[in-house]
Amino acid sequence: MTSMTNRVAPRKGKPLDVWRWVGRIFLVLMLLYTAVPMIWMLLTSIKSGFAAMQFPPQWWPNEPTLASYQRLLDPTNSVGQDFLRFFWNSLFVSTATTILAVIVAVPAAYAFSRFEFPGRNFLFFAVLLRNMFPAVIFLVPLFILMRLLGLVNTHGSLILTYLTFGLPLAIWLLKGFYDNIPYQLEQAARIDGATRFKAFMLIVMPLSAPGIIATAIYSFIGAWNEYIFAYTFLNRNDKLTLPVGIQRFFSENTTDFPGLMAASFMMSLPVVVLFLLLQRYFVRALTEGAVKH
Amino acid sequence: MAHVVLTDLVKTYGNFKAVNDVTLTVGDGEFVALVGPSGCGKTTTLNLIAGLIPITSGEIAIGDRVVNDVDPKDRDIAMVFQNYALYPQKSVYKNLAFPLQMRKLPRAEIDRKVKDAARVLDMTHLLERKPRELSGGQQQRVALGRALVRDPAVFLMDEPLSNLDAKLRVQMRSEIKRFHQDLKATIIYVTHDQLEAVTMADRMAVMKGGFLQQYDSPAQVFAHPVNMFVASFIGSPAMSLIPVEARTVDGRAVLTGAEGWTMALSPLNARKVRNSTTKKVVLGARHSTIKLHRNAMPDAIPAKAYTVEPTGDVTFVQALLSGATVNISVPPNVVVQPDEPIWLEFDQERLHLFDGETEIALMAD
Ligand SMILES: Nc1ncnc2c1ncn2[C@@H]1O[C@H](COP(=O)(O)OP(=O)(O)OP(=O)(O)O)[C@@H](O)[C@H]1O
Ligand SMILES: [Mg+2]
Repeated sequence: MTSMTNRVAPRKGKPLDVWRWVGRIFLVLMLLYTAVPMIWMLLTSIKSGFAAMQFPPQWWPNEPTLASYQRLLDPTNSVGQDFLRFFWNSLFVSTATTILAVIVAVPAAYAFSRFEFPGRNFLFFAVLLRNMFPAVIFLVPLFILMRLLGLVNTHGSLILTYLTFGLPLAIWLLKGFYDNIPYQLEQAARIDGATRFKAFMLIVMPLSAPGIIATAIYSFIGAWNEYIFAYTFLNRNDKLTLPVGIQRFFSENTTDFPGLMAASFMMSLPVVVLFLLLQRYFVRALTEGAVKH
Repeated sequence: MAHVVLTDLVKTYGNFKAVNDVTLTVGDGEFVALVGPSGCGKTTTLNLIAGLIPITSGEIAIGDRVVNDVDPKDRDIAMVFQNYALYPQKSVYKNLAFPLQMRKLPRAEIDRKVKDAARVLDMTHLLERKPRELSGGQQQRVALGRALVRDPAVFLMDEPLSNLDAKLRVQMRSEIKRFHQDLKATIIYVTHDQLEAVTMADRMAVMKGGFLQQYDSPAQVFAHPVNMFVASFIGSPAMSLIPVEARTVDGRAVLTGAEGWTMALSPLNARKVRNSTTKKVVLGARHSTIKLHRNAMPDAIPAKAYTVEPTGDVTFVQALLSGATVNISVPPNVVVQPDEPIWLEFDQERLHLFDGETEIALMAD
């Protein structure tokens, strides 16, 4: 008996270690592959214009400088004015898209998850159907539609478009979250004296918070990075969003690599921050221990 | 507290009838146990009473009010869910306080009631924990506590003790019974465990396949099961059910087994057998009503011991008769060997007779 209980799971010898190392090396390579362009972007953004053009390139800037950032963030010069305006426009469009997406997706996903109604499966399929076509094929029709509605050159055109493309996945994502929250919790709350709506707000909402946050971040990033529709629907300089604005501005100032890289870096900042938040919320398994398994 | 009246209650899922024409009255302050095999519609019936699922047809009244269209929160019920349904994001304290908060009780009163309930359920030290930090048994006690803090018209409990260990179960059983006596609470209690039903309930409702089979006091259900299902479902070890044939020998009704033996019947039992629709009759007997003899006796049926299971208190002997297993209990000092010939004497007063076709208990008149 003792020999049985003392026996530990047999450790595999050399072959396993070899594969483990192959895996590690692969991971490091992948990490370099994704991180090097980002690091290069950051390093270039703190070079002087002259240093950035040198060949062979300087890997590490000899005289690092924050001049590019100062210029972009200074509202008194024209570069800074434009950049801050684009930033604000992007922020407005993305935030509005996100808020509306959550307001629509939460009840829609909840209904798909909880209610039996005629045509439920068909509707859900229709929602997902949108995702089977590349967005670009809707570009021209949507442009014509926007012109008819007088929405060209407004942020509304973008917000509407982003909602159309973002909502299907948002609803699908959230439905998954609601499916995982046991219905008995709401039943218990209703017996405990809550209305259906109160049970939703007090019990289901807090539990689906990670899902809602993930959905919001997904909508935000989608809107923040979108280029083609923004490029097509907007042409007034004061309306442009960051991706289009940066592209347009620097095609006129082709040599300012540090400026371009600084602008790109600042554009990626909100996304990076949101991703850090996302990680935190995805890991939390809140419904654990809710019901007997 | 209030009485509950179910009238012709039906719940269908598509073509499937989960609850089938159930009519049942639970008296004010009565403790009713709902028993039956898995999938027989116990939880569905509770959910219908609670208003958590819409009824297909029929009527539910709580107190003197028909509640068919009343929202769960306005039915004045408390429920313990089979899978606990604890609010995972709330501490034990807040789980217990939630129903009281919903009813807008003053904070001090909520605090007092929560702490009282925690003391009764022996979980004062757990109040700050989250449900996922509790064992299954502890979670179940919280679920029970969330119902006990309330003062509703009816308690609905769906297997509230199923996940506790034997000792805790016995302890909680008496707590609930005590609680019922003190509060004169109306309780509808679903359980798999017939011992729970028999020890706690004033009346028990036996269900099968969505149908209510029998609704009576545990003693009556035990002594007079209405059909073979109830007979075999209630009692442990299960009642032995032996297929036999009804015959008339010399003008007297007798039963004959597949082995060729004949059993004479008392006048009452003979009258019952004459009411059978077929010659096929099933003889039912509980282990304690069969006498085991080691020598041939008049009126005793010859058999052979098949297995012998001493349990300490009693020894169970199994024998085969007419292809059915017959359970007999004997005192532990009676030593029977497997394959030993034995003679079985059935107590005419306490044997059960069923119609072999309809499986319904035969009546004398
Ligand atoms: N939403 C549903 N859709 C279809 N069938 C259902 C649904 N809910 C329950 N049923 C069926 O109804 C029958 C009764 O279920 P119920 O949960 O009431 O059984 P139960 O007696 O509580 O069983 P257990 O002892 O296993 O808890 C089962 O056959 C079940 O499969
Ligand atoms: Mg059940």
